[in-house]
Amino acid sequence: MELSGSVAAESVPSTSLVMVRAINKRFGGVRALRDVNLEVRASEVHALLGENGAGKSTLIKILSGVHAADAGTIEIAGKPVEFDSPAKSREAGIAVVYQDLSLVESLSVADNLLLGREPRTAFGFVRRRALMARAEAFLKELGIPLDTRASVGSLPFAYRQMTEIAKALMGEVRLLILDEPTSSLTSDEVRILFDAIGKATRRGVGVIYVTHRLNEVFEISQRVTVLRDGANAGTFVTTDTDMKRLVNAIVGTDRSVSIGARTEPAAKRELDPSPVLSFSSVSNDRLRAVDLSVRKGEIHGLAGLIGSGRTEILETVFGLRPIESGAIEIEGRRWLPSGPADAIERGVALVPEDRHVQGLVLDHSIERNVTLPRIPHFSRWGWMQQRAAARRAESAVARLAVKAPGASSLVRTLSGGNQQKVVFGKWNDPRPRVLLLDEPTVGVDVGAREEIYAVIRNAARDGSGVLVVSSDLVELIELCDRISVIVNGHVARTLVRGEIDDAEELHHLLQMYQASGLSLSQELSA
Amino acid sequence: MTELIAPNVVAASTRSDRRRRILQNLLRGERPYMLYIAFVILLVVFSLSSPWFLSVDNFLNIGRQTTLVSIIAVGMTFIIIARQIDLSVASTLALSGMAAALAMSQINNSWIVGAVAGLGTGALVGLINGILTTQLSIPSFLVTLGSLSMARGLAMMVTNTKPVIITNETYFAIFGEGTFLGIPVPIAWTLAAMIVGILLLHYNVFGRRIYAVGGNPTAALYSGINTKRITTAAFVLTGTLAGLAALVLSARSHAARPDVVQGMELDVIAAVILGGCSLFGGRGYILGTLFGSLIIGTLNNGLVLLGVSSPMQLVIKGAIIVAAVAFTKR
Repeated sequence: MELSGSVAAESVPSTSLVMVRAINKRFGGVRALRDVNLEVRASEVHALLGENGAGKSTLIKILSGVHAADAGTIEIAGKPVEFDSPAKSREAGIAVVYQDLSLVESLSVADNLLLGREPRTAFGFVRRRALMARAEAFLKELGIPLDTRASVGSLPFAYRQMTEIAKALMGEVRLLILDEPTSSLTSDEVRILFDAIGKATRRGVGVIYVTHRLNEVFEISQRVTVLRDGANAGTFVTTDTDMKRLVNAIVGTDRSVSIGARTEPAAKRELDPSPVLSFSSVSNDRLRAVDLSVRKGEIHGLAGLIGSGRTEILETVFGLRPIESGAIEIEGRRWLPSGPADAIERGVALVPEDRHVQGLVLDHSIERNVTLPRIPHFSRWGWMQQRAAARRAESAVARLAVKAPGASSLVRTLSGGNQQKVVFGKWNDPRPRVLLLDEPTVGVDVGAREEIYAVIRNAARDGSGVLVVSSDLVELIELCDRISVIVNGHVARTLVRGEIDDAEELHHLLQMYQASGLSLSQELSA
Repeated sequence: MTELIAPNVVAASTRSDRRRRILQNLLRGERPYMLYIAFVILLVVFSLSSPWFLSVDNFLNIGRQTTLVSIIAVGMTFIIIARQIDLSVASTLALSGMAAALAMSQINNSWIVGAVAGLGTGALVGLINGILTTQLSIPSFLVTLGSLSMARGLAMMVTNTKPVIITNETYFAIFGEGTFLGIPVPIAWTLAAMIVGILLLHYNVFGRRIYAVGGNPTAALYSGINTKRITTAAFVLTGTLAGLAALVLSARSHAARPDVVQGMELDVIAAVILGGCSLFGGRGYILGTLFGSLIIGTLNNGLVLLGVSSPMQLVIKGAIIVAAVAFTKR
């Protein structure tokens, strides 16, 4: 969009390294990537932005050979390549540093760097001294301050990441892909990381840098590509753009406008003033003096970056994290949950973040999943009332419009949206007092998303207090009566509907609080 | 949440639906028919190759020989569905048998005291296995590897490895030598354990929870299930059944010996896996376990009838078990 072929800025290098053209990828019914283009030049840091589910991870997985593209071409230094395995991608000089690291924690830095290509004697024994020397020389050349003898497990996170990057750079690497490398680093550690990236680019390596933090984009990248809903939403020369334009591209102006118009009636709803759930200065290992209240019938959003403590607030209410100080009340009564069973008994329901790991037993039927938290309701003297359970499951399938042959279908065979409806079905009846939702529409296609919104609104209208965590800011704006901004385990601010117009504004606000929150947490630790 | 499409689409289930569901409950598995086909093939092969194989007496024989494995395998089915393993069952059997015989010899020679002591000892070993596994988060493989050794050692220590003679005739009749409705009691006890297992696993709340804990422990926890308590209960059930097997064995041999059934845990686990349980948890059914156990019993019996040397029997048995699992797994 913004960028033509003629990039004037001298800060952008000119030799094309990787050329991705018209990549398409489909997962079942979901089009994850549509005609995506990306060009990375030698010695360039190219930032890749987009909301969760915009297609960044899919694109990276195609470049690294984990997935094969359905259509489109990839060229490296002008030569077309095709990856059918990660090994092929690696051979072509592409190295990926994932968020979850791939190091052997019990081995030393040097052992990890040369894992699988240790210098050895004719009899196959490892030559320890040569191994150490080679690792040391390599780190010195890169200028990365790491002790080669330290075991990786004992290192702070940033240094493990550094090891990972150093490992990725061993051998003939031309393109280095970093997937949110700073999400759990302190600002000092970020500095060290940026230095290492700089050393790599000076050797001619091109870097794709995936991040959610816009300020970093301006700090280290020469160009930015934004993906939205699986398609290109613009490529910019960093020095020619600003935060506002990037946010616009990420969120999509058209979407926020149409949503603003549609949600008008909901705003006029009158809320029961009595809080169904309230936090007063609740602290524990991840939360710091959280104050929060959710009214009967309210949909209350929690906005914040990953790791800010949003999920932990839900987990604390659900009895998965102990409260260290402060108090939680449900309908005015003190709430000290002993665990999820206790929470469910009291009328608290959680639709967790990862439905495959936390929400569903994938190899079991819809019926078994839906009745799981309500087993006591479907039993007499310990014996299952099989027919009542089946009936409830059938009615949940019908009411939530789960697209499945019947309640006995295995959950694994359903699409993401329908699986999520099954998770909602677990908490359908009786109506929960407090409904906790963690990323309720991640991996859900657009049609099912609207249906899930309807389910959430209905729950609120029937009197549940809903607390919803989402990284999709448009979703928060569309659903919520109030939104609390969470930064470093603390509620930085609570916004009432109408105080904020669109996702773009909310995005700015988050970035602002994140920046100030970072300095705050450093003061605390100092 | 009231809206979104029709409220009540479900017609009352008809009787035939119900019958089908019961059948599904009992026979379900990934490829259930493979198991029954394997069993039938085995029967045909042995019938053709040995004239003595196909007789009522011989089948009762197989039933009696598989009793111990079958009874304990009912409990092991719960444990393996819950993603755990119990290696200590054979040692638990030995220890429970010693406890039953010693208790009887000390207190009134009463068969009730013996039965309570045997079952109670088994349950206690199971409880300890369960608590160590869930509270200290030690993998059950290691916990029960330890208790395998400890229970066997204790069984040998109490009498300095000597057997304990049992003299109570009622005890023999109830657990070893009598008949119940014309069925030899060891087989009757096996059937009883099977029926209790089917009811608990397929019709009771406990079974639902066992499947959920094994299918996805995190999702079970997030659905308000006390996963530790459920897992521990499965160990207690298995220990208790090992105790029952001990009563049957000691009543049949009129004595408890500390060195019996060494290595039987492998037959028990093989029976459960042959029967269609997934070692990754969440899948399995009791009737499958029964057939798994029968296949192993029939193999033992048939190979003896064919006059195969006992080292060769081991080799053939092992190969057939691996082959059967390879064919029956999905």
